[in-house]
Amino acid sequence: MAYTEEELKKELETKEYEYGFYTDIESDTFPIGLSEEIVIAISKKKNEPQWMTDWRIEAYRVWEKMEEPDWANVHYEKPDFQAISYYSAPKKADPNKKLEDVDPELLEMYKKLGISVDEQKKLQNVAVDIVVDSVSVATTFKKTLAEKGIIFMPISEAIQEHPELVRKYMGSIVPTTDNFYAALNSAVFTDGSFCYIPKGVRCPMELSTYFRINQAGTGQFERTLLVADEGSYVSYLEGCTAPSRDENQLHAAVVELIAMDDAEIKYSTVQNWFPGNKEGKGGVYNFVTKRALCEKNAKVSWTQVETGSAVTWKYPSCILKGDNSIGEFYSIAVTNNYQQADTGTKMIHLGKNTRSTIISKGISAGKSQNSYRGLVQVSSRADNARNFSQCDSLLMGNECGAHTFPYIEVKNKSAMVEHEATTSKIGEEQIFYCNQRGIDTEKAIALIVNGFSKEVLNKLPMEFAVEAQKLLEISLEGSVG
Amino acid sequence: MLKIKDLHANVEGKEILRGINLEVNAGEVHAIMGPNGSGKSTLASVIAGNETYEVTAGDIFLNGENIEDLSPEERAHNGVFLSFQYPVEIPGVSVTNFMKTAINESRKAKGLEDMPAKDMLKLIRDKSELLEIDRKFLSRSLNEGFSGGEKKRNEIFQMAMLEPKLAILDETDSGLDIDALRIVANGVNKLKSKDNAVVVITHYQRLLEYIVPDFVHVLYNGKIVKSGTKELAMELEEKGYDWIKQEAAV
Amino acid sequence: MDLKDKLVSSFLAFENNVDVHNPVHDVRTEAIKNFETKGFPSRKEEAWKYTSLNSLQKIDFSIFPKKESSLEYKDVKKYFIHQIDTYKIVFIDGVFSSNLSETTHDGVDICLMSSALTKPMYKAVIDVYFNKVASKDESLTTLNTAFSREGAYIYIPKNKVPKKPIEIIHFSTGNDVALMLQPRNLIIAEENSEMQIIERHQSLTSNAVLTNCVTEIFAAKNAIVDYYKVQNDVDSASLVDNTYVDQKDGSHVKVHTFSFGGKLLRNNLNFYQNGERIDSTMKGITIIGDKQHVDHHTLVHHIEPNCESHQDYKGIYADSSTGVFNGKIIVDKIAQKTNAFQKNNNILISDKATINTKPQLEIFADDVKCSHGCTIGQLDEEALFYLQSRGIPKKEARALLMYAFANNVLESVSIPELKVRINKLIANKLGVNLGFDL
Ligand SMILES: Nc1ncnc2c1ncn2[C@@H]1O[C@H](COP(=O)(O)OP(=O)(O)OP(=O)(O)O)[C@@H](O)[C@H]1O
Ligand SMILES: [Mg+2]
Repeated sequence: MAYTEEELKKELETKEYEYGFYTDIESDTFPIGLSEEIVIAISKKKNEPQWMTDWRIEAYRVWEKMEEPDWANVHYEKPDFQAISYYSAPKKADPNKKLEDVDPELLEMYKKLGISVDEQKKLQNVAVDIVVDSVSVATTFKKTLAEKGIIFMPISEAIQEHPELVRKYMGSIVPTTDNFYAALNSAVFTDGSFCYIPKGVRCPMELSTYFRINQAGTGQFERTLLVADEGSYVSYLEGCTAPSRDENQLHAAVVELIAMDDAEIKYSTVQNWFPGNKEGKGGVYNFVTKRALCEKNAKVSWTQVETGSAVTWKYPSCILKGDNSIGEFYSIAVTNNYQQADTGTKMIHLGKNTRSTIISKGISAGKSQNSYRGLVQVSSRADNARNFSQCDSLLMGNECGAHTFPYIEVKNKSAMVEHEATTSKIGEEQIFYCNQRGIDTEKAIALIVNGFSKEVLNKLPMEFAVEAQKLLEISLEGSVG
Repeated sequence: MLKIKDLHANVEGKEILRGINLEVNAGEVHAIMGPNGSGKSTLASVIAGNETYEVTAGDIFLNGENIEDLSPEERAHNGVFLSFQYPVEIPGVSVTNFMKTAINESRKAKGLEDMPAKDMLKLIRDKSELLEIDRKFLSRSLNEGFSGGEKKRNEIFQMAMLEPKLAILDETDSGLDIDALRIVANGVNKLKSKDNAVVVITHYQRLLEYIVPDFVHVLYNGKIVKSGTKELAMELEEKGYDWIKQEAAV
Repeated sequence: MDLKDKLVSSFLAFENNVDVHNPVHDVRTEAIKNFETKGFPSRKEEAWKYTSLNSLQKIDFSIFPKKESSLEYKDVKKYFIHQIDTYKIVFIDGVFSSNLSETTHDGVDICLMSSALTKPMYKAVIDVYFNKVASKDESLTTLNTAFSREGAYIYIPKNKVPKKPIEIIHFSTGNDVALMLQPRNLIIAEENSEMQIIERHQSLTSNAVLTNCVTEIFAAKNAIVDYYKVQNDVDSASLVDNTYVDQKDGSHVKVHTFSFGGKLLRNNLNFYQNGERIDSTMKGITIIGDKQHVDHHTLVHHIEPNCESHQDYKGIYADSSTGVFNGKIIVDKIAQKTNAFQKNNNILISDKATINTKPQLEIFADDVKCSHGCTIGQLDEEALFYLQSRGIPKKEARALLMYAFANNVLESVSIPELKVRINKLIANKLGVNLGFDL
């Protein structure tokens, strides 16, 4: 991995949340509140076919009857779902326009986000779809991808252009009834990304979506649907930022992955939503449902670096349905100040010879609470299933908490499941050793934390790994007593 | 270079160092010997600024300046290097990454720019050759899973990289095989100059055959009870510590 | 009438037979109220996710035995660790059996809860300890508290060590078609005292028995309590065993649970470390088959600094049996320098067996060493091959390996005769011929 000392140093100078700017773009926002009418209006606004509208209404009706879950180890004031605006689009956005037409303010914003919708990315071979508030504003590389038959576009467009695909797969992995937030998302999602990799195609570049909440008082409910057809391969990146605001912002996304026979999907997330300020004011509520279905010999890897959000509730999962399928989950979750994270994974072994690996690294500092919650389930038909889980927690300071809740349910005698968890703090001897070599304590901690997270950082695509490393450092600043 | 005056230090309320006096000049090699638990490592830690040990009396001067208020990293920036008797493991941090950080932090303290990657690579290449260290070794996690000897050799590699003014080698010879001992000793000798000084803590005469000391001190019960030249080390090797203990008791 | 209603209405009958003016009865009244609101736990509760009491609630249990029974020692001798001399507190269908028991008041009190709860001389102790560590809102515990009347009462004063181990045995004779028992034990180890206890619940027929037992253990400064639970009951007997341990500075409490038989076994083992330098040890071996269900629920609450806890649970599950392990460790903010370790290893030897395990760490202090490890798997194929290559047939080799797997938990058993007994039980269960007499 490229060494980024210089960059790190620069980053160290900006102590505040660095993506906390608000872009003044004219936007088109719905009145606050949620009702069947609003759901229909969203659908209308997006010019959706009737089946889509019906689907949303059904989801809304289910959601109305559901209760917000409270089993997770997080405590927060429940959002008032009637005080949120469910649609906000930058007014000047037009999905069909060329890059040159993009609102210069938006472009400026991308620059601040560190994403450039230009040649630079072409060199780095990343195709980007950007979702600001509720709608996709630009998708790059559409043509290059189209040559290979790859579809990568805002989901709103896909509903228009590839209704058969969307209709077939949307909700097939995360049904509308799955949980409170998924139902809400199904009713009101306004955009997100859709991706289809045809049979046998190796996607030549990393696909990437950047999400950003910009408008005040809006919720973001994006929906990602990724279908990797037989024998295909794709690596997908997802980044998130939101401006600093005093009030809490809501984000409830749904991500569905389908890996057909022999397909492989790598899904990486760097989540850096605004975590709230030092006093715990503001920040994003991040309630995300992510799930993948693995058919025969398929493989799905979830890699996540979670440093943002005031409250995170997120369990990227794999349903290992096909024989010999593989699920992986690599996670780093950092919490500081008053952040709370309850995150982990579910590995559901249904097929024979299915394998899963879980590596979770939790780092808690400040007054934060960091929980790992995982489920490894081996059904009675899943002969020779294997799981290995390792959950390590690092505590910094004495006001934070680290919690581990791994559920293991095995109904097959040939299963081999291994779970290990440790909790520790950074050793004083380690710090003294670094000090003795001329490294000050803050730097020493960054170094040790990076080392602690290495196994997961290594799983990220290079470009993200560097950014993730920076994020780790930034988010732990000021945590040294 | 180093001047220690009537140094007393405690750990957990127990007095370990009970009035150490020592002067080490540039260009000199000093050896400190003494029975187990006599306070050798404690002395080394106190010089390096380990806050586990509380200095209750006395002063340490480095190049004429009292270093009482300097943090461990500031002492390191001023050229103090301690080769640990028990080097610490830092999982996930490679030797290379660690050294880059250490060198650049020292440079930063001196107001210098980061060392250009090219120079860094060359430095790593030169020093690893000097100590006959396989480059693959340098990408492994620091000290994690290293054998005892590998840890020690790695300490000297770091010393070579950092080019300290005052190097304190705490039992660097223990755990080294015969070849490694020679390689490490050669390395130390090559790095020695009239501008720097070395303090070797050891139990064995063997190392002193390679790194020839100008002075030998015996530490016992928190005090330097005897000082001499390299012949003293040979005498100790032959006779053990009993006679020293008896002398000290008188 | 469902079991809950029956229990609640039986409380009135119960009141006719106890002194309602005794302050203890206020505790009972409070408890029955609590049980009435809560009822039996359901699988919706996180703590009962994997264990259902539904089918048990359908049985028409007698809440009190219909008539008194007696037993001959020679008929039940095998349930005692008869190779050694012990104090014995024995109950038959919930009623104290003086002819099978050997109690004492010689410097220590090894006697009956019914005396302790009613006689003035024990009042001071009861005031301080009774229902003080047991949960006041866990529903089955409150149910037991409501009906608490009989059980073992053990009080070991400062610096005392009883001359011999203590056996607590509850027999049920099957005089009633279905009987529910609710023993209540109170065990107090004062400063520097020591004791060893073996507890067993044994049904003698195939009539249904449900035992809902609560034991409170108080270990004062530097006290040592060594507690063994032998659970090898018949297939018609179920047991919910709630143990609450309050530990003070420097005390050491070990609880071993050997679960080899019974229809449904639920062990709730709760340790509260109210002091420093405390050591808490929980070990268990579970070997079950048929449709048996064993659920181990442990909690260690590290409240003060510099304490340790060690948990080691092994399980072997055959046929359609189900095992549950739920081990929770809480380390409070001030409990620095805590060392908490937990291990749970399981082997499934049938396609129909199930294991659900949920270790759980909740850590609020930073300077701690905590770990848990959990495995589910099979026997080591290499070891199996090794044994086979030395001429041991596969079946025997498997049994031998399983025996070795379970057996290392026994190292910490401090009563040699008990160790031998458990060893034999394990060997029997696994069909191992040890080839030498234990
Ligand atoms: N952190 C500590 N806490 C408690 N006691 C300590 C600590 N560090 C050192 N000591 C005690 O101080 C005394 C001196 O220890 P030190 O390590 O300096 O001895 P040494 O001369 O280096 O011995 P050796 O030859 O075995 O390396 C010993 O009795 C040791 O137990
Ligand atoms: Mg030493």
